[in-house]
Amino acid sequence: MKVLVVDDFSTMRRIVKNLLRDLGFTNISEADDGSTALPMLQGGDFDFVVTDWNMPGMQGIDLLKAIRADASLSHIPVLLITAEAKKEQIVMAAQAGVNGYIVKPFTAATLKTKLDKIFERLA
Amino acid sequence: MSTAMTGQISLEQAKSLVVFLEAGQQAAADAVIAEIQNPINSELFAEIGKLTRQLHDSLTNFQLDSRLNDLATADIPDAKERLNYVITRTEEAANKTMDAVEAIFPVVDTIAGQVAAVNPSWTKLMNNELDLTEFKSLCLDIDTLLKNTGKETHNIHRLMTDVLMAQDFQDLTGQVIRKVIDLVREVEDSLINMLTAFGISAERAQEQTSPKVGENLVEGPIVNAANRDDVVEDQDDVDDLLSSLGF
Repeated sequence: MKVLVVDDFSTMRRIVKNLLRDLGFTNISEADDGSTALPMLQGGDFDFVVTDWNMPGMQGIDLLKAIRADASLSHIPVLLITAEAKKEQIVMAAQAGVNGYIVKPFTAATLKTKLDKIFERLA
Repeated sequence: MSTAMTGQISLEQAKSLVVFLEAGQQAAADAVIAEIQNPINSELFAEIGKLTRQLHDSLTNFQLDSRLNDLATADIPDAKERLNYVITRTEEAANKTMDAVEAIFPVVDTIAGQVAAVNPSWTKLMNNELDLTEFKSLCLDIDTLLKNTGKETHNIHRLMTDVLMAQDFQDLTGQVIRKVIDLVREVEDSLINMLTAFGISAERAQEQTSPKVGENLVEGPIVNAANRDDVVEDQDDVDDLLSSLGF
């Protein structure tokens, strides 16, 4: 399974990558915001996107909307991992078609639970 | 201030003034005039006093303004540098820690793999079910395991010391952030003083404490979640909210 991790902080990308690797995801690419992520998604056969919300350039919510609006990408499950915690934002993400929402700071166990749930639903 | 009278001169004063002037007593007449003017002078002096105090206060406020100027041109750029230092140090610490942890993972996996390889034969040995060739092979495996574990635990110890040492960022960045907090407090005080000098109540500014939601939706980590009802406090709140939306 090919995963794209999108976050403007390299340390957070590294943490998420390590956690994903521990959960058996070995084919992981990185992007530092939505506008770098989108062409990567359009050019490669990614199966899953983990993205932050607040990033310079294109934000995670706009990346999510762009993915859902693109017929070739709209099937890709998207997990938001973000410090954004306003109820309004969570509702907005849900309406935009997010598959999971994790608030930072988070634990490895939370990530595992959400991933299991996402792939269980898709199966 | 003046004696009980409505005008600025009494009939007695006017009469005595005429008497002195008719008698050619100029000095005495001047004294009456001075007496008449006295209350007026007192009020004038009081007014001048008031103006002087206001001028003094205004000058003091101008000094505050020049402190604000220092804050804007020197202290705040310095604070930006300090906060950048915090970002750099915390990033370094996070990377140093992850370097060590990423180096430890495969070592631990190798040891776990060797233990798993030895385990079936070892169980057989404990149950007296192991033949001589198996025993010899087991001895070699255990020999490898012991030598490798001995070497790698030393390695892990060194890497864990690296993780430990990477935590020194907390002390250093804590000191820097404390200085920036002091600066922010000083700026706040200066601005409040300036508002007060201009007669604007500082209370009014506190009306809009929670940031407006709209185009600029992102806010970053919520530091006062307990005092707000527009944010979730933890992952459980997120899950509850999503499940209420049918997730």
